[in-house]
Amino acid sequence: MSTVSETPTDPEQACVLLVDDNPQNLKVLYETLRDKGYQLLIANDGEKALQLARRHHPEVILLDIMMPGMDGFEVCKHLRADTDTALSAIIFLSALNDIDAKVRGFNMGGADYIAKPFQAQEVMARVDTQIRVIQLERVMQARNRQLESEQASLLNAIFEGIYGLDPQGVITFANPAAAEIAGAEQDALVGRRIGDLHFTHDSGEEASHAGRVLCQDGAAVLRRGVTMTRADGTSFQAEYRAAPRFENGELTGSVLVFRDITEELAQERALEETRDLVAEQREQLAHASRLSVMGEMAAGVAHEVNQPLTAIANYVSLVSRMMEKDTLDQDALAEVLEKITAQSHRASEVIRRIRQFVHQPATGKETVDVARLLAESREFAEVDSRNNAIEVSLSIPQHLPYAVADPVQVQQVVLNLIRNALEASRNCGSEEPVEVSAEALKDAVCVRVADRGCGLPEDAEERLFQPFYSNKDEGMGIGLSLCRSLITGQNGEIGFERREGGGTVFWFSLPLADGTVPDPE
Amino acid sequence: MAETEQTVYIVEDDEAVRDSLSMLLRSEGLAVAGYERATRFLEDWHGGMQGCIVLDIRMPEMDGMELQEELIERGSHLPIIFVTGHGDVPLAVEAMRKGAVDFIEKPYREDQLLEKIRAALATDAEQHQGREEKRLIEEQLAQLTPREREIMDRMVAGQANKVIAIELDISQRTVEIHRSRVMHKMGTHSLAQLVRMVMSVRDGDPE
Repeated sequence: MSTVSETPTDPEQACVLLVDDNPQNLKVLYETLRDKGYQLLIANDGEKALQLARRHHPEVILLDIMMPGMDGFEVCKHLRADTDTALSAIIFLSALNDIDAKVRGFNMGGADYIAKPFQAQEVMARVDTQIRVIQLERVMQARNRQLESEQASLLNAIFEGIYGLDPQGVITFANPAAAEIAGAEQDALVGRRIGDLHFTHDSGEEASHAGRVLCQDGAAVLRRGVTMTRADGTSFQAEYRAAPRFENGELTGSVLVFRDITEELAQERALEETRDLVAEQREQLAHASRLSVMGEMAAGVAHEVNQPLTAIANYVSLVSRMMEKDTLDQDALAEVLEKITAQSHRASEVIRRIRQFVHQPATGKETVDVARLLAESREFAEVDSRNNAIEVSLSIPQHLPYAVADPVQVQQVVLNLIRNALEASRNCGSEEPVEVSAEALKDAVCVRVADRGCGLPEDAEERLFQPFYSNKDEGMGIGLSLCRSLITGQNGEIGFERREGGGTVFWFSLPLADGTVPDPE
Repeated sequence: MAETEQTVYIVEDDEAVRDSLSMLLRSEGLAVAGYERATRFLEDWHGGMQGCIVLDIRMPEMDGMELQEELIERGSHLPIIFVTGHGDVPLAVEAMRKGAVDFIEKPYREDQLLEKIRAALATDAEQHQGREEKRLIEEQLAQLTPREREIMDRMVAGQANKVIAIELDISQRTVEIHRSRVMHKMGTHSLAQLVRMVMSVRDGDPE
């Protein structure tokens, strides 16, 4: 290692290799370049020069041409042939001041030429220049390599297939993902026509996909759910985007980005099915809740049915007594029979309402006359209203717009809110009526159910609509959470407000039907 | 005062039930008065009413239980038959505890209801008679002079004439005269009956 100067190794420091068989020349060069911030290496023959060059990758090599054994040109040839050393800038040194040697040196890849005897200024200038050039080159190469690898990794990492297409639809480029999806080698794809390869399902109409992806009108296209063919003839569902490529304003082809969405579509279908299932379960829960409401209302309902039945039984007993008499009063009999008929109608009406409430299937969304729906809901609530000895008042503006909703579910929500309100009022000993009102908002119909009950606890905001939360002793806590679920299912909103002067208002809104307002009659 | 007829008072908010029951009971020859509201019945109520009440337990405003309480407060003697719906049995039991004579569940068999009504009317008639007797006894007692009353109390307590004479420091003859006046005014000849009459007034009515 005596040939290596003791300058400490610095990655930023440029390395210069001095090669000359004449120690005097080496000494001059060394003296000239020392203390200039270079790492200096010295070799006095070609073999040593190659060894040092391979080990240290010097930026610049000052190489004497005329040397015994391996001459400068020979060394240069070896340096150039080895990729490890090919990048070093070689500056030839020679006493020969002839054109031939210079030309030969440049032809062999020399970067520069310095004539002996050396002028210190010239040596420094030329070395410095070469070092800057070589360093810039290295930076550029490093950047290039980085860019290339980034681009490659991008193209490789992208799970979307990418094709470059020429204006005739011939594939000029394919990324690994494209090969993966197509089921063929990247190389085998290039040169094939996109239509023959991937769009064999095209019906040959003018708007075929093979034509569309060329973007001949200069506009990008996006298509989803397209059937594409693989190299082996099998097919898959794809989404593709194609964008035109221009060079100097000329359409030079297009870039086609595509991916296999078979699985995605399956997931979407599964998601759709899950949504349906949730809707179905919501409907089942709603039905179960209607049954349970019916159960809670059973005493009242039995009373409702018992009244006409009792009356009928009485009238029938009366008729049998009338018939036992010697003279039959036809008119009186007809009158009583009339009353029996009326009462049996009344009984069947009660039954009809119960059946309607419990067994109505969800009809899905339709145009709903909210005013009528509220009137019907109040009828349902009448039994409860009587049992609680609290009236239910109804206040609806004329020409209330129609809403879009599932009427059965909305009715259930209304009934639930009215029953809650009645219960809250009764528990509080209030005799104020429960007020049901409706109003038209900009893009919704809002229904409000107000009571003068004891109001809600402080933490109601957080918990009220949570399942299994109840501030009633016997409550299941299903009611309001189900209400919210049903109303949000209609794209509506539900909430409550504390009422000035005590009590609570529960409200919900439903989206308007398309600009429909009931005809003024 | 004219003899008051027994009436079945139907307090029932449901018009059809009230109407049908009224017609049925009238066809049985009973006097009937129908009331749609408990409050309306209270407006008409007076202590001299005889008969019974057929009372619906569930009604708006004042319900059957509340009417019963008000009637107890006012000292009504009218027997009450509660008419209940399904599931109201606990209420009916409570009503019975407070003195209702009976209850019947809707829908009912008319012969069962009629039977209960007849029983209630009989109870009322009996109680009415009892009350009439007491009233008579009290009227008779009121006619006694304080001296006669004092001597009667001692008679009823089982004291012999001689004992009464000594304790009151009067002659035995005077005791005998008072005694015969008491028996006359109370309308009886037997000491045993006098004792029964006085006891019945004392037991039944603390007044």
